[in-house]
Amino acid sequence: MKRWLLLALTALGLAMAQTQVRISGWGGPDTAVVSGLLKEVVQRQLDRENIRVVYEPIEGDYTQWLFNALSAGTAPDLFYVDIFWAESLFATGRVAPLDAYFSREEVQAFLPNLVQAFTYRGRLYGIPKDFNTLALIYNKDLFDEAQVPYPHQQDTWDSLEGKLRQVQTRLKDVAGLCLVADFARFGAFAFATGWKPFDAQGHTVLDQNFRRAFEWYTGLVRRGAARFAQDLGEGWTGGCFGGEKAAVAIEGAWIAGFLRDKAPNLRYGTTFLPLDPMTKRRGNFVFTVSWSLNAASKNKEAAARVLKALTSPQAQQWVLERGLAIPSRKALAQNPYFQRPTKEAELNRVVFLGSTAQGGNVYPFSFRGLGGDWMRPINEALAAVITGQKSVDQALREAQAALDRLTGRR
Amino acid sequence: MEKARRLWVRLAWAYGLLLAFGVFFVGPFAMGFLASLKANPLEWPFSFRFAQVSPKNWVAAWRLGLEGGGNPWLGGMVPGREVVLEVAYFSPEGQEPTLLAQISRRKPGAGMGAVFETPYAADHVRLEGPVRVEARPAQLGDREGMVYRYRLRLFYPGEGPVLERVPLDLEVPRGVVLVGASLDPTRLERRGRVASWDNVVPGLLGYVFHNYLRAFRETRSLETGESLFLRWTLNSFFLAALKVLTTLIFASMAGYALARMRFPGKHALFLFMLFSMMVPAQVTFISNYLVLKDGIFGLSRLFGVETLLNTYTGLVLSGLVGAGAVFLMKQFFESIPREVEEAALIDGATPLGILFRIVLPMSTPALGALAILTFQGTWNEFFWPLVVLTSPREIYTLPLGLLSFRNAYGQVGDWGLILAGGFLSMIPVLVLFALFQRYFVEGPSLGAVKE
Repeated sequence: MKRWLLLALTALGLAMAQTQVRISGWGGPDTAVVSGLLKEVVQRQLDRENIRVVYEPIEGDYTQWLFNALSAGTAPDLFYVDIFWAESLFATGRVAPLDAYFSREEVQAFLPNLVQAFTYRGRLYGIPKDFNTLALIYNKDLFDEAQVPYPHQQDTWDSLEGKLRQVQTRLKDVAGLCLVADFARFGAFAFATGWKPFDAQGHTVLDQNFRRAFEWYTGLVRRGAARFAQDLGEGWTGGCFGGEKAAVAIEGAWIAGFLRDKAPNLRYGTTFLPLDPMTKRRGNFVFTVSWSLNAASKNKEAAARVLKALTSPQAQQWVLERGLAIPSRKALAQNPYFQRPTKEAELNRVVFLGSTAQGGNVYPFSFRGLGGDWMRPINEALAAVITGQKSVDQALREAQAALDRLTGRR
Repeated sequence: MEKARRLWVRLAWAYGLLLAFGVFFVGPFAMGFLASLKANPLEWPFSFRFAQVSPKNWVAAWRLGLEGGGNPWLGGMVPGREVVLEVAYFSPEGQEPTLLAQISRRKPGAGMGAVFETPYAADHVRLEGPVRVEARPAQLGDREGMVYRYRLRLFYPGEGPVLERVPLDLEVPRGVVLVGASLDPTRLERRGRVASWDNVVPGLLGYVFHNYLRAFRETRSLETGESLFLRWTLNSFFLAALKVLTTLIFASMAGYALARMRFPGKHALFLFMLFSMMVPAQVTFISNYLVLKDGIFGLSRLFGVETLLNTYTGLVLSGLVGAGAVFLMKQFFESIPREVEEAALIDGATPLGILFRIVLPMSTPALGALAILTFQGTWNEFFWPLVVLTSPREIYTLPLGLLSFRNAYGQVGDWGLILAGGFLSMIPVLVLFALFQRYFVEGPSLGAVKE
């Protein structure tokens, strides 16, 4: 009798044993990070609770896939949400608020800027898994060869421009910076002036502050401190930097992986973006991604546990030490990894601090529900002025008109 | 005179057209292939003279691979071996340069390679030298100076793992120029100051086709450690072969029934089939997806399978045979004279017997063409597998694998690997075309009817 009871209990136990939690994110380099994280940290923690994590990385257009899957009811329990389109997704009600699963203390352990980015109408919809900000990365050899001091964190736009101009003049075959016509880079300078993408009414006004940053940025080529990236046959500042075509790059920590393959011996240093000479502040973007919970998930409790394990201090430490991404917990600021004397650790430290007070006016890389449409008029204005097709006046006037139509101003 | 002129004009047209075809169709393949061999595939302007096509380097790579790991093809280094590398530097002032050599700890920056902990050569291989073996006056361009030749000895003592690659960096002061090396470096960095070898024991294939080798070596499953690229290739082969088989069987059976048999609703069926050919896959994929998601209306649950998504069963079941294939076979069977079958009928053969013993043996050209078209179609199929197969990565087909390559490596500008993967995926189709091209030349009307 006892034996039967035991057998029955075992069978029952097996039946109840494992809760499956499906998680998804984009493919590419993240596949390696998440698979490694699951195997070495997360699954071990969850084995005790009989939760099995099934990871499905999505190759191809992740955003489209996610929106389709959420409507078809096949979406996983946990998934990535990029800050760039987070708001439009949260507005659909397909994402479950996390306030019930995370205590106030647990949430406060994450960087406030990032938590704010995933808060929508007062409720928390995602736990930031990692993030990036922009930093100024400089090629030490080129500055040495041109006998110009390295850029440092007290540099203003003007002093940095002076250094870049000197490098470009003395070395001839190297640009100071290779300039891109992209708000994802230029925006940081506009923020430094105190300009904000949206005013209280939700309108975008390209005011005098914006104009000042715009004139400085687009004039770099004309003043001999930069060259247009396309003229150097590159699409991003990192490409120019890796090929030693430019002395500095304005990128995030993602450039480290690129340089590891492209130029493993490059001697580079990293510092903060320059200060606006008038406000004495700098600006920056936060690029971030969260783990969010599917509102239609059948096992939300288990999924929330997986979410906690994925963003636990141990998990973030694992990610950090491999130099794969910058985790999102406040406590990591004191992490010994950032103090290591390597170029990658320095890069990661500056990028990490870029989201804090040292980063100055930091805003998430997100533009309400408008996404890329909002950036387009500004990018077009940047390109038109850098290539000399339009005057600053004309370009800004047209951009303002396009933004007015988009945000419903006037 | 006029005749000769016309001949020349005609020749010029023919060669001009051939040349244009060559440039437009073969050119990109050739350039893509050459670029996939380069260390920097984006090199601009494109040069046709690079390290991987120089016979001197082939010989050196062969020798170094043989000395380092006993494997002249794939290279590597095993305990107890040593290799010797020579480099020559030009120094303008005639002053001997300081040469810093080190075996660096290098790790791939992208893809699965960035996560795997592989043994570092720096922990096992000892570097002796550089030892100066020669110094002689020389001229480089219009500059007078000295050329110094150095020898570096890499020795792997004691016990240890087999090393797939041994990277090496040589640094010299500014102004000193590398003028020769037994094996050309993978890249020059820091404005020519650092010569960097990704692998000094590459072996011939490892040097010339290093991106191809990386495709197999660097993408591995985190669970089992096996090569994912190899797995994806095998998956694609398996699926393509299976689909060729089912298509040949079902298309010939259905085609034969439509061509020769009389049954009610035959025309309606045929029209419906034609109609199904005209509906684009994008229209039906959502319903197909939902059917697979529920395991074909729950039928698969009878076999204990909850859903057919992420399974080959689902992928194969949803594409056993295409209407186009049935149509092709039907048209072909109709071109076979009825008398042949009637003779068999008189001898007492059944319809199946006629199909398999008489009609099909006469249909090799059509079957060949169908086989190769189906194979190529399945091999290159992208959209549907992308929808059905999402995880684990081990079940991907090759095109999906290549997409994940592009996502993982394209982001960091590592296009060599992506080009190599693309090229590898093209080979089976090329081979198939070379083998089966005569079926295309003969055309479906030949073969069956011999007057």
